[in-house]
Order: sequence, then C-alpha cells, then structure tokens
Amino acid sequence: MSAALAGAVLCSLTLEAAGLAHRYGRRRGLDPLSFRVASPGVVALTGPNGSGKSTLLRIVAGLLRPTTGSLSVAFGGESVSAAARRLRVGFASPELAFYDELSAEENLTFAAEARGLPDPGAAAGAALERVGLAARARDLVPELSSGMQQRLRLAFALLGAPPLLLLDEPGSHLDEEGCATVARVVDEQAEAGLVILATNDERETKLGTQRIELRRRGLGDPA
Amino acid sequence: MARSASSSAAAVWAILRKECRSEWRTRYGLNAALLFAITSLAGVSFAVGPLGDRTDILSGMLWVVLLFAALASLSHAFVREIEGHTLTLLRLVATPTAIGLGKLLFNLIFLAVIEAVTVPLFLLLMGGPPPKWGRFALVLILGSVALAAACTLVSAIIAQTRGRGALFAGASLPLLLPVLAAAVKGTRAQWQGGTVGAEASILIAYAAAVFGVSLLLYDHLWED
Repeated sequence: MSAALAGAVLCSLTLEAAGLAHRYGRRRGLDPLSFRVASPGVVALTGPNGSGKSTLLRIVAGLLRPTTGSLSVAFGGESVSAAARRLRVGFASPELAFYDELSAEENLTFAAEARGLPDPGAAAGAALERVGLAARARDLVPELSSGMQQRLRLAFALLGAPPLLLLDEPGSHLDEEGCATVARVVDEQAEAGLVILATNDERETKLGTQRIELRRRGLGDPA
Repeated sequence: MARSASSSAAAVWAILRKECRSEWRTRYGLNAALLFAITSLAGVSFAVGPLGDRTDILSGMLWVVLLFAALASLSHAFVREIEGHTLTLLRLVATPTAIGLGKLLFNLIFLAVIEAVTVPLFLLLMGGPPPKWGRFALVLILGSVALAAACTLVSAIIAQTRGRGALFAGASLPLLLPVLAAAVKGTRAQWQGGTVGAEASILIAYAAAVFGVSLLLYDHLWED
C-alpha cells in the first residue's frame, strides 16, 4: 500500500443504488439506474454527454438529492446519510471552484481545517505534493493555468485520504505528466478504497476494474 | 457526539477566518459599507449641521445609517459564494449549520468594524449630548446582533435566487423593522435619561428567535 494511504482507515465501502434517477425540472438528468459496487477498486462511469455521469457523481457525493429511487452508501457496514457523506468523500469536478483571493495552499488548508483534519497545513502540503503542485502552492488561484487548477481540484479530493474518491473527468486540461499523476493516484486509491471515475477518455476508462455505462441519447433529453 | 461538536466548531472557526481573510484582501463589502456610512453622515451634516438636543432625530438617523450600511454589505456573505461558484466547495467541507454560523460571526465582526468608524463619526458630526455609555453600548450591541442575525438568514435564503440584489433589501426590510423600532427607541431613551430594559428585551428575544429559526432552516437551504 502507498505511503499516502498508510494513514487511511481501512474500511469496507459499498454503494447500492435502486432505481436512482434525477430530473432538472422537465429535463431528465439521470435515467433510472441500479447498481452495486464495493471497495476496493475503480469504477469507470461512461456514457454520452448529458447521460448523467456528473449527476450521478453529485448524488453519490451527497450534493444532489435523487428525484426517485434510493442510494445506500455504507462505510464499514454503517450506512451514511447524504449530509455526512459530503464531508467524507473526495470530490473533484470541473464545476468545483476555489477562492480567487486565496492561494492554492490557503484554499486547501481552509478545506482541511473545516473538515477537522488534525494538521490542516500538513494535509494541504501533502495533497499538493501528490499532484505535483507544491512549487505553486503560494500562487493565487487565478495565477494558475487551467491544468494547474485541475490538479488543485484533484489535490482537494485527496485531502485526508478519503475512502471514496469521486472524479469527474479528472484528466481534462492535463498534460501527459498530469494524466500520469491521475493514473497513479487512482491506482493508489484503489488499493484500499474505491474510485468512481466519470470519463469518456479511453485512457481513464482503462483504469477501471468495473464499469457502469449510462446508455441514453444524451444531451439531457427532455421528458 | 463530542467529535461531531468539535468538528462543527472547527468548521465554524475555519469559515470565520476565511471570511475575514477574504474580506481583508478584497475589502469589497467594507469599502461599500464605509463609503455609504461616511457619505451619508457627511451629507446630512452639511445639510442640517449639529442637531443639538434633538435626540429623537439623532436616534433615528444613527440607526438608519447603520441599517442601510448593513443592507449594502451583509448580503455578500452568501451571494459571493454563489457568484464565485464556491458553494460546492463549502458544502463539501462543512455542514450548512456550520456555514451559517461562520457567516453570522463574520457579519457580527464586520458590523462591529463599521460601527467603530461610523458611531464616533456620527457623534462628532451630528452633535448631541454625550450618550449614557453603558446603555448606549448595550442597545448598540443587541441591535447589531439582531441586525446581523436577520441579514445573514435572509442572505442565505435569497442567495440562489435571481434578482437577489433587489430581493435582499425587499425581503430584509419588513423583518428588520422591529429591530429598527426597538433600537431607535432604546437609543433615544438612554439620551433622555430613561431605562432601556424593555427595548433590550425585545432585541434579545428577536435575535434569539431569528437565531433559532436559522438553525432549523440552514440544513434545508442548499439541498438540491
């Protein structure tokens, strides 16, 4: 097991969805979906644009309530509510934004402190180190390129070594080295936890040991 | 339970520190509030000069200036998160209640800073008899707590709506009228040698009620 996850609590993690669906007003965001996945491993979530990949990740993260159906997420056999889940998962998506007036390090230190991590500064530094952003830790967020901001999102998701990592298109804007970093992080996480990776990138899809394919016409079909 | 409480306290403290740091670096709300307060005072001072012993007008003017300075700036606590798209980040690191409490504490500190500049300037420019400092401070503090609690709650509710700028003032004013009335009466009473017990009780009850409602509502406000 990697040193990064050495401090992580080893606990089983299971996700079970039954008829899970979401609508944005009249528009279908996610068609009814049922699945069961468990740690350790990597689940590749694929599907056309608008099929609900991001919607599903947000529901799993506890950021969005399903319109119908149910989702059970259990850490070590104990079911966790959506509100509690938000504070325990690692989540990175293109919509995740940081405070422009704070540096990369300050943003992560704030997040670590708010989550109650024992040594927020060290946790932030370790996360930035893992994604290769340590040299730019003190730069304000607007001073970072789009690729660096993507690495910052990944670093945020890795704070505190969460048992469940939800990554929405983690390789977007990243160069070869960045993509290799994503692959390394996913491999490390899969040793003791679970990764759900929403992607249409073939390289990222291959990282998955399991696959959920959302099949729909896409582009957020209306009712 | 103890770990949950300490985690919530850590989140509240982290949010408060972040808010203070962000405001210090941008001074967005501070500049707007101070500019409004100082301009209003200067304008009225040029127009009517010192008001002498018209403690009724002095009381009303003081709280109108503080109220509108608050309305010009306290809404930004949550609106900033929406417009900067940082609410997702915030929801991933803290409970809604911790977010609300952190923002409320920041708004209290923010109001205290505004008043530290505005109140002495007001007393200097508008004249009037020296306040009974103990009673004056009591009404000022309780009125500010009630003001901050109400503005924070309204800001949290309307942050995700369209037209939130206009909506904040429109939604806040009816809620703030009791605060305004009690604070003005209490401020006038201390100048006229009366007691402020009744007004202080109203402000305490109001702040407690708004705070209680806030704790009930925060968990449901940003659930998508």
